[in-house]
Amino acid sequence: MSELSLQTTPEQQRALERFYHYEARLLDARQYQQWLTLVSPDIRYLMPSRVNVMVDNRQRGKESMISVERELEGEDSLGCPIREESYLHLMVRVERAFKINSWSENPPARTRRIVGNVELMAQEGDALSVLSNFHLYYARPGNADCIYSGQRRDLLVPAEQGYSISRREVVMDYANIEVPTLGLLL
Amino acid sequence: MTLRISDLVNAEASLVSRRCWSDPDVYALEKRGIFGRSWLFLGHESQISNPGDFVQAYMAETPIILSRGTDARIYANVNSCTHRGLPVCRADHGNTKRFICPYHNWSYSVEGDLVAIPQEGALCNKPDKAQLGLKRVSRVESWRGLVFGCFDEQIEPLESYLGDMRFYLDAFLDRFAGGIEFLGAPHRWVINANWKLPVENQLGDVNHGAFLHSAIIPREAQDLIEELGLSVVPRPGHGATFRLMPEDSPVDDMAWGMEGLGGMFGGDEVQEYLREIQAQAASRVGDIRARMKGLTYGIYPNLSFLWSNTSFKVSHPRGPGKVEYWSWAVVPADAPDHIKKILRTNYSSFFGPGGILEQEDSEVWIQQFQGSNIDYADDRPYYYGLGLGEEKVHPELPGLVSVTANEFYARHFYARWRDELQAVEDT
Ligand code: FES
Ligand SMILES: [Fe+2]
Repeated sequence: MSELSLQTTPEQQRALERFYHYEARLLDARQYQQWLTLVSPDIRYLMPSRVNVMVDNRQRGKESMISVERELEGEDSLGCPIREESYLHLMVRVERAFKINSWSENPPARTRRIVGNVELMAQEGDALSVLSNFHLYYARPGNADCIYSGQRRDLLVPAEQGYSISRREVVMDYANIEVPTLGLLL
Repeated sequence: MTLRISDLVNAEASLVSRRCWSDPDVYALEKRGIFGRSWLFLGHESQISNPGDFVQAYMAETPIILSRGTDARIYANVNSCTHRGLPVCRADHGNTKRFICPYHNWSYSVEGDLVAIPQEGALCNKPDKAQLGLKRVSRVESWRGLVFGCFDEQIEPLESYLGDMRFYLDAFLDRFAGGIEFLGAPHRWVINANWKLPVENQLGDVNHGAFLHSAIIPREAQDLIEELGLSVVPRPGHGATFRLMPEDSPVDDMAWGMEGLGGMFGGDEVQEYLREIQAQAASRVGDIRARMKGLTYGIYPNLSFLWSNTSFKVSHPRGPGKVEYWSWAVVPADAPDHIKKILRTNYSSFFGPGGILEQEDSEVWIQQFQGSNIDYADDRPYYYGLGLGEEKVHPELPGLVSVTANEFYARHFYARWRDELQAVEDT
């Protein structure tokens, strides 16, 4: 997406940021059940795989030569995305978090995320296409701490708590996957 | 004090020293005695179907380019320039005529031959390019589309190396008239663990399911697995676990792919597609193999195949305490694209770096490596004796067969591992 974001009103921008800050706080506070209420039952939750592709000689000199999109094996590709999930998957993840035998999170990881660069890119009827970036600090007992970095490409629809997430694509910044899991709620 | 391999694994391989996992000297021996002398998985022919196609691979820590030559044959070369050693290929996969080294632009054909030295025009002495190609992997063979390479010229043919493991692999591979396809680039997950534990986990450790994964796998589901489950060692080092379904089982209980989230919730068309494959199974692979519903498979030393969540995995060592764990989703090659896209989630929902289940496995592999570094407990080797001597021959299934709680698959693995290291420890 190379275009400038939509001209928003300060109120609309504020509403989006308010929503994302609330969401981030719920996730860092491990209030996943409440987080799930921000998600629409027909959500597509996606995380493309990121690969090293050949440079296409014919693209030389153009921005498309090194575009991020070329590196992504997403839902439309015949590669293998890291995650292609529905509400059911997210529900299983949330339920798992509250079982004493979900061993990789016992004791649970300590996380802190900063969400920013919130840009409203398009609006179709009610649905808002919104980009945001995040950095997440992750400390799991017994492991070295690490940082998650990525971009979220959301489709939001207005709802009681501000918005409801009806689609989220998380583009992670990784070469090899050096974090303990990409199965977090991001 | 010098370390002797015979001190690490006892005669029946029921006791295995912590040092097998953590000692740098053991790892150095493994590189020579195992990774230098075994057939190692490089890729699948579906990844390089056209001349000029290539994918990257590894043989332990050695980077390899696996390619399809202009003569349609398969080549495997070390990805390192003969001039100063840089990798000449940087992409995970692609199609090319030449691999060009960035440093001084020596260029190599897709078969690995050196074709141009830009500097030579200015010089009188022309190097003999025929001697300066990329280093070939000594042996490359494929079976059912699975391509393996070996550094040792003397190794037995791949087919005899696989031995009766072929019987079990075919129960899956031969189910599909058009063969299988590996989707996309592998997920490359770096885990601070020793390479052998992911291997052992997929070789036959079905029983941890009820415990480690109890947050996700209900006890009743695990009971069903263990009730019908068999563990087989067709040849020491290889292993297969599966459920042998009763003859009157409903097709939906038997069919491959139905038990993954994609199969369960992917819609009628996918389920019909899976039933159709199962309907052909007996005529393709015979009655007993049509009733096999696989769980985990292992091919010595570091290739795994997870039938239930259809994925191939390779545990590439990066020293004693680190692995680069590669995994691919695998689908029938002739499935329509939209069905492939649903079936790949049978893998990714639960396994791989984003999977709901495997995050528990990777965590314990890391913790096991930490435990293996406790030198105060060196006199407390790990106990591998569960089910000692209880495996038997079976009237219809080749190899030794037992219940899944029997750890004989691991004993056979470590006995072979021990013998192969002993063969090189004094050389
Ligand atoms: S290092 Fe490859 S050309 Fe010099
Ligand atoms: Fe597991």
